[in-house]
Amino acid sequence: MDVMSQLQRQWLEHSAFLRKEGYLDDQFEQLQKLQDESSPDFVIEVVSIFFDDSEKLLSNMARALEQKVVDFKQVDAHVHQFKGSSASIGAMRVKNVCIEFRNYCEAQNLEECLRCTRKLQFEYSVLKNQLEYLFRLEQQIRAAGG
Amino acid sequence: MQRVAQSSLSTSVAGSYGSFKGGGSGSGSAAQVMVYEQFPAGLRVLVVDDDVTCLRIIEQMLHRCRYNVTTCSEAAVALNHLRERKGCFDVVLSDVHMPDMDGYKLLEHVGLEMDLPVIMMSADGRTSAVMKGIRHGACDYLIKPIREEELKNIWQHVVRKKWNENKELEHSSSLEENDRHKRGNDDAEYASSANEGAEGILKAQKKRGNAKDEDDGELENDDPSTSKKPRVVWSVELHQQFVSAVNQLGLDKAVPKRILELMNVPGLTRENVASHLQKFRLYLKRLSGVAQQQSGVSNTICGPVEPNVKLGSLGRFDIEALAASGQIPPQTLAALHAELLGRPTGNLIPAMDQPALLQALLQGPKHLPIEHGVAFGQPLIKCQSNISKHLQQSKLSSVEDVSSGFGAWTSNNLGTVGPSNNLVGLSAQNSNMLMDILQQQQQESQQQSMLPDPSCLINVQPSCLVVPSQSSANLQAGNNTASVSQNCYFNRSSVIDYSLLSPQSNNSSLNIGEFPNGGLNTTGVLSGYTAPGSISSSVSSSSVNADNSMGRQGQSSSVTFSAARQLPGLVPNMHDIQGSYTSKNGEMLDQGPLRNLGFAGKGTCIPSRFAVDEFESPMNNLGHGKLYVENSRVKQEPNVDFMDNTKVGIPILHQFSFNDVASVFTE
Repeated sequence: MDVMSQLQRQWLEHSAFLRKEGYLDDQFEQLQKLQDESSPDFVIEVVSIFFDDSEKLLSNMARALEQKVVDFKQVDAHVHQFKGSSASIGAMRVKNVCIEFRNYCEAQNLEECLRCTRKLQFEYSVLKNQLEYLFRLEQQIRAAGG
Repeated sequence: MQRVAQSSLSTSVAGSYGSFKGGGSGSGSAAQVMVYEQFPAGLRVLVVDDDVTCLRIIEQMLHRCRYNVTTCSEAAVALNHLRERKGCFDVVLSDVHMPDMDGYKLLEHVGLEMDLPVIMMSADGRTSAVMKGIRHGACDYLIKPIREEELKNIWQHVVRKKWNENKELEHSSSLEENDRHKRGNDDAEYASSANEGAEGILKAQKKRGNAKDEDDGELENDDPSTSKKPRVVWSVELHQQFVSAVNQLGLDKAVPKRILELMNVPGLTRENVASHLQKFRLYLKRLSGVAQQQSGVSNTICGPVEPNVKLGSLGRFDIEALAASGQIPPQTLAALHAELLGRPTGNLIPAMDQPALLQALLQGPKHLPIEHGVAFGQPLIKCQSNISKHLQQSKLSSVEDVSSGFGAWTSNNLGTVGPSNNLVGLSAQNSNMLMDILQQQQQESQQQSMLPDPSCLINVQPSCLVVPSQSSANLQAGNNTASVSQNCYFNRSSVIDYSLLSPQSNNSSLNIGEFPNGGLNTTGVLSGYTAPGSISSSVSSSSVNADNSMGRQGQSSSVTFSAARQLPGLVPNMHDIQGSYTSKNGEMLDQGPLRNLGFAGKGTCIPSRFAVDEFESPMNNLGHGKLYVENSRVKQEPNVDFMDNTKVGIPILHQFSFNDVASVFTE
């Protein structure tokens, strides 16, 4: 019980923190609402898909920017996709970087694009860690009977 | 829930409600036999998105809405799935940016081949992107991240489309009963009627999938109390069946009896076919006369069966696609269509803003042959409130309130269309009205190159023949800026049958034949002319400036067509069209524009129906540059191969203020 309530408290605090710091927005809450008996692991499932996708997109972006002749349209396509998926799960910070990134793609500013890629990598890694922590808490809560 | 590999199709059913059978991939059309216990639960949705994260989320949301969901991460696979299982889906949700196929391409295909409502999704929420979606004929455009509430309501697009199609039937069929249901429902009754509607839809879809008898089926099957209606509603589908039968037999050998046999539509009589055939022959005659300029036209018309059929279908789809913002069921505008269908347009929605129009309308001849009449049954333009008011006063039942401008299209039209009573008369009147108006316009507004806001109004339903009226300022009387007002143009055009477009319009606006005048606006559109900029800046669409042809058109502020621009390309097409009309009416607009309208390129066989598209294009633009016919007074040759020709996109709305535009889309 003690452990449980402690875990739950931690979980709540962490969630609040993520919201407050802008890592996650309302959309994440929507995802949580979608979780039900028929899909008890919905959030984790979707976020996992997101992680897989993101890693592919990030590496595609990096590769596209490394080309001798950079195809900005292609880069933009990747960023656009990343923007869509991050928006869908509520990853606000990541999404915002994508928005900025797209502007630079349009302007065909290679340097800024590279900077954005790095920024994106960073934000994505942070988010991933945060969410994984959150999910671990959840698992523990469930294991403890919650 | 079955989950297949990500890249393949996966279908999952939300809960188990009703008796659901099948639902997997590969069963035939009968696979998805759903009994909807409570509409809209059970709605069959196909979601296409290469982003698997979004796909999963949307799937879950749709499940929560108790819809039957099939997901697919590749557009090509989705298209195959749709083709294989026609009639198995009610609505398609598709992402815009996909690696293997552009979302809009998919939209086009779906619209053309399956006639399903398609809703686009994208993380790109820019106005221009949304506009593009509308132009391509999407029923709706959702911006990611998508909320569950938004998905809950997608059923409305299915119902609306169905009802709009039914409306046509209602006029003369025993569906009046349904019609009463549909129209008279208040919220309380809604559920039950919706159920009916839904069932009707489901039934219809299955029927369509199986027998292609949808229209007839509905005519006959849904209403047991039907007594043979005197009048058959020649819907798009029905007409296509007719055309394919004729093609199969060969025009020379096409006799009503054989056609009837081939069509195999229960309830259709030899007489129905005979009269329709007569009109069709006349239509073809006109086309061939006009088609000199258009190489393709005559061929298509008289040519091998295939093209004809194709045209027909294209036209229909095209029109549908054009249907603005997807709200409106594809409606074929062309006067020819009306002609062929012999269907009076219930709602002539003439957006005439001028009282003169009303006068004309009221005084118009009562007996314009249907062929000439503009058949808009519905939609159409809502453009100007005054006009609508006028119209209403003038007993035009069809006149819809223009107030909302665009919005009204579908729903409104339907409503107003209501009793098609004396449609013929109306159309006749309209045409007269149009003519008068046009004439007036011409005189008054030479300079104005108002483009009829094609986008505005066209909400032409297949049944209605929309005659693209020369948009030219004439009609509009002065709306330049607001695209909305422009709409009127459209209406005008639509309302006006070709005949009306009358050559009288000396002013650029109408003269279809005279492109340079920009009269033909419509034609311009058709020919897939992508007018260079001229159009209001915002209009990004390639839409041809319908204006081109019509100098007049200019006015319309906006949009569309870069109005006033000359659509050189278009003009040629129009000629064909015009030609045909003139022969008919004598006054008709120069063919020039018309030619473009329909014949450009494809030589549409199918009349009018498509004409509507032309006009609508701005909104619906499938991406072809369809011009909004409005602009050009051009009379639209019904069915001009709008689809094909119009590549002219009508820059729609550009000029409209956002509110105008928004209003259009609001129901």
